[in-house]
Amino acid sequence: MSEHESMRELLALAAAGALEGEQQRRLEVHSCECPICRRELEIWSAYSQGLRRLPQPPLPGRLTERARARVLQERAAAADRRWNDLMLGALALFAWTVGLSFWFLLRIFSGGDLVIMGANLVRLGTWSALSTVLVWLTAAAAALALGKRRRDLRRVL
Amino acid sequence: MGLFGSPLRIQVSVMILAAAMNPEALSSVEDSIARMRRGDPDALGAVISRYQHRLYRYLLRLVREPATADDLFQQTWLRVMERIGRYDAHRNFESWLFSVAHNLAVDFWRGKRGDSLEASDLSDSPGERLPAAGPDALEQLLDFERGAMLAACMDDLPAIHREVLTLRFEEDMKLEEIAEVACIPLSTVKSRLRRALEGLRAALEARFPRKWGA
Repeated sequence: MSEHESMRELLALAAAGALEGEQQRRLEVHSCECPICRRELEIWSAYSQGLRRLPQPPLPGRLTERARARVLQERAAAADRRWNDLMLGALALFAWTVGLSFWFLLRIFSGGDLVIMGANLVRLGTWSALSTVLVWLTAAAAALALGKRRRDLRRVL
Repeated sequence: MGLFGSPLRIQVSVMILAAAMNPEALSSVEDSIARMRRGDPDALGAVISRYQHRLYRYLLRLVREPATADDLFQQTWLRVMERIGRYDAHRNFESWLFSVAHNLAVDFWRGKRGDSLEASDLSDSPGERLPAAGPDALEQLLDFERGAMLAACMDDLPAIHREVLTLRFEEDMKLEEIAEVACIPLSTVKSRLRRALEGLRAALEARFPRKWGA
């Protein structure tokens, strides 16, 4: 590739101000001697100038206010979700604590023997299985109720 | 008076220059960003106001649909607030902000077309389609409302080319900053910029042959 051809390849980037020092200097030297490249560089510079002055698109109405409102709304929803998660965790812990305490008291007062429908309820395994089922059923019901409330709120907003 | 010489444009340029040279304005933006990082929602409005024109323009150039650009604009600020805690204050906030917007635009393209910004690129080289410039192309270039023509032809370019053009010429970003925004190497920025300019010129000369071509 001749010097002229290699310089011609750089003209568009030169007009965009994207050449490094040495390339820029070589191009300047070459364009001083080469009228074709000088002319091309002028054309590219005109394109570059035009691109810096493109017509500006109009901003949609209340863009900042709407963006800010959406961010705040999402933050409020996220805080709500965090609060709900925290409450669910706390309620689950509370349920387990109450269940264990109740089991402990029942075991003391019943003397370790409370048979209903053939199952000894104060045996640790039976009590744990029963409590787990009850806790999960309660948690599922709470999650469904919260989900419905969230959907309703979204519909309103 | 041509489009570029309108008094409104001069006023806007002067305002931007004045804002850029005003250290109080800059420090107030830095302060607002710091307050945003501490979770202060009141600081958000000031930062959005400062960047709204540039960010919306960038997104609009990228996706071309005002409604989509509007939605992506809002999503960008949502993402910014989600990730502001991870933003390194030593980094350039503008580059970080535009890279967030870039990633959302990429996600939008993927969701819309199962495609990417890169995949919408032209397969043939615009340089090969470049017709020779006419003897009086420069004069004609200066005579016509080139901004509108350039904008119309820019819309025909692939998204990755529109992106580098708007970041370089409208946002006046350095090549390193463009690389950071678009998550590409510096050498790719240069080649993309060159192809974008050549593509734009080819499109102009093809669309307005009497004004731009031989």
